[in-house]
Amino acid sequence: MKNLKSKGDESVLAPIWNWKITAFSAALLFFIGILAISFGPVSLGFQEILRTLFGLPGGLTGQDRTLLLDLRLPRALLAALVGAALATSGAVYQTVFRNPLADPYLLGAAAGAGLGATIALTSAGADLYSLLPIFSFFGAISAVLVSFFISGKFFAEPNSLLLSGIAVGSFATAVQTYLQQRNSSSLRPVYSWILGELTVANWQVVTWSSIYILIALTILFTVSKQLDGLMLTDEEAYSLGINPNKLRVIAVVAATLATATAVSASGLIGFVGIVVPHLVRGITHRVTNRGLLTIALVGASFLVLADLGARTLLSPAELPIGVITAFVGAPFFLVVLRKKRLVSQ
Amino acid sequence: MFKARTALPKIALAAIAISLFSIHPVQASSKLPTRIISLSPSATEILYAIGSGKQVIAVDDLSNYPSEAPITKLSAFNPNVEALLNYKPDLIILNADATKALEVKAALEKLKVKVFLESAPSSPREAYLEIAALGRATGKLSGAQKVISEMKSKISAAIKSGKTTKKITFFHELDNTLYTATSDTFIGKVYKDFNLVNIADPAAKADSAGYPQLQSEYVIKSNPKIIFLADAQYGESLATLSKRAGWNGISAIKNKNVVALPEDIPSRWGPRLVDFYEFIATAISKVK
Repeated sequence: MKNLKSKGDESVLAPIWNWKITAFSAALLFFIGILAISFGPVSLGFQEILRTLFGLPGGLTGQDRTLLLDLRLPRALLAALVGAALATSGAVYQTVFRNPLADPYLLGAAAGAGLGATIALTSAGADLYSLLPIFSFFGAISAVLVSFFISGKFFAEPNSLLLSGIAVGSFATAVQTYLQQRNSSSLRPVYSWILGELTVANWQVVTWSSIYILIALTILFTVSKQLDGLMLTDEEAYSLGINPNKLRVIAVVAATLATATAVSASGLIGFVGIVVPHLVRGITHRVTNRGLLTIALVGASFLVLADLGARTLLSPAELPIGVITAFVGAPFFLVVLRKKRLVSQ
Repeated sequence: MFKARTALPKIALAAIAISLFSIHPVQASSKLPTRIISLSPSATEILYAIGSGKQVIAVDDLSNYPSEAPITKLSAFNPNVEALLNYKPDLIILNADATKALEVKAALEKLKVKVFLESAPSSPREAYLEIAALGRATGKLSGAQKVISEMKSKISAAIKSGKTTKKITFFHELDNTLYTATSDTFIGKVYKDFNLVNIADPAAKADSAGYPQLQSEYVIKSNPKIIFLADAQYGESLATLSKRAGWNGISAIKNKNVVALPEDIPSRWGPRLVDFYEFIATAISKVK
């Protein structure tokens, strides 16, 4: 793409992406992260928190140190990882399907994960309960795989994949509902899982989910420039040296990996995948996927902030985080949408 | 062939249905019920304890106690009117929390089947009232009164042995995402009878039904002396709790006062409520 713009163009046209925005989002995420771990039912000194984080003398000790490092920090990190995964996958799905309403759960990932979690929760023995993340992970992956195979010629027609994703999703939801009805005692745990929760966050969850999410996001950031080609017709994409079918497979596989990991670590947290990409694109007036990293950072900030609300609004009780993301996200989204329409007129 | 074979039961069903319509108006109004279906595990336990067991012809799929109760595949959670009618019942105990309970009740009453709508009691006192009401409805009021007075005396004995003047805090864990029950709930009132201090009470405003979800950090800070595990059947134990971040400093875990609650008993308000009181009394005596 470099050879397309000469020096003269740059002075007239705005650059495709302003990397200062990305730097700003990174700084924002950092500050929101510090803010988030500073609040909780137990009040900890702000200075001591900073000292503990940066390994300076005079930090927290004993139980307070455990609270900060083993409870609040992994939880904030998990929120950031999940937020980044969902927002990035959402943006990628929207590009691949050329559909502004596409979200990471579109190809049956959510319903598949829900079915997997329900199977783990309704199993008679105690053995499967601890395997819930694995069950929901494979539930999500298999649902998307089935959607792929049903739609046949993979990406010749993105809409057919979309439709088979919806069908597979409904099917999985039907099986899930059946299992729930047969095991009514599992209703509450399934329900609370569906609303999304970061309460189980610990270093183990953060470690394994960060591996998959970071791999998936690195792949997506690497192909982000080419992803813009998918917004053109396939012929035009080919003429730019992009193989659209191959690129779509890579993008969807990576986005699905990120989504499945996020879902299995934290349940179904809604709306992040739609709100954040539109928010970033709306504010910057850029649709390019070069903003993918920024979308990831803003998604992370959004979820860390939402989790802060989940922990503090009803303290010492919890509020399901999915309630906050939708409650804040939906009106926010409408404002951005309206602003965007006014600009385009 | 097939059609002919399947037609017969259908005709029989139709005949049963017709006979149901014609017999019931006479039976339902005055006589005592002889064909009871219990769609509530607690009611099943109560019916057998007060001496109405012989009148029970079917119980729902979760009514696993006592063992002589005729357990079926009937769902208490999602009752099916036609499946119920198959048993030709004259009284159905229906839980008010069942799916579309009021519609099911109306449909059954239209078909001249009496319905006893029970709702989960909010205190042991209400449980006694319900036992008495079940006695009245099945003609075993004296049996019910005998059960109630026995329960009352055994429970007050348990409270006497376990009640404490010391401030003993506890956490009642419903699942590993830290849902719990406040003192406003039935089970919370049982603990309160022993003067135990529920760490969930400051979160009472979070859920009007009394089942808030607590934050891990808050449980650690509250430092409960006893932890009761209602999720022991899902694999939680002292070992799994002490692996949670920051939990090994909690008094209950340090002193191994993590108590696995028996399955079913804490969630039923029948005669086995006594067992639950006695269980708690024993757990407290170990801490005192």
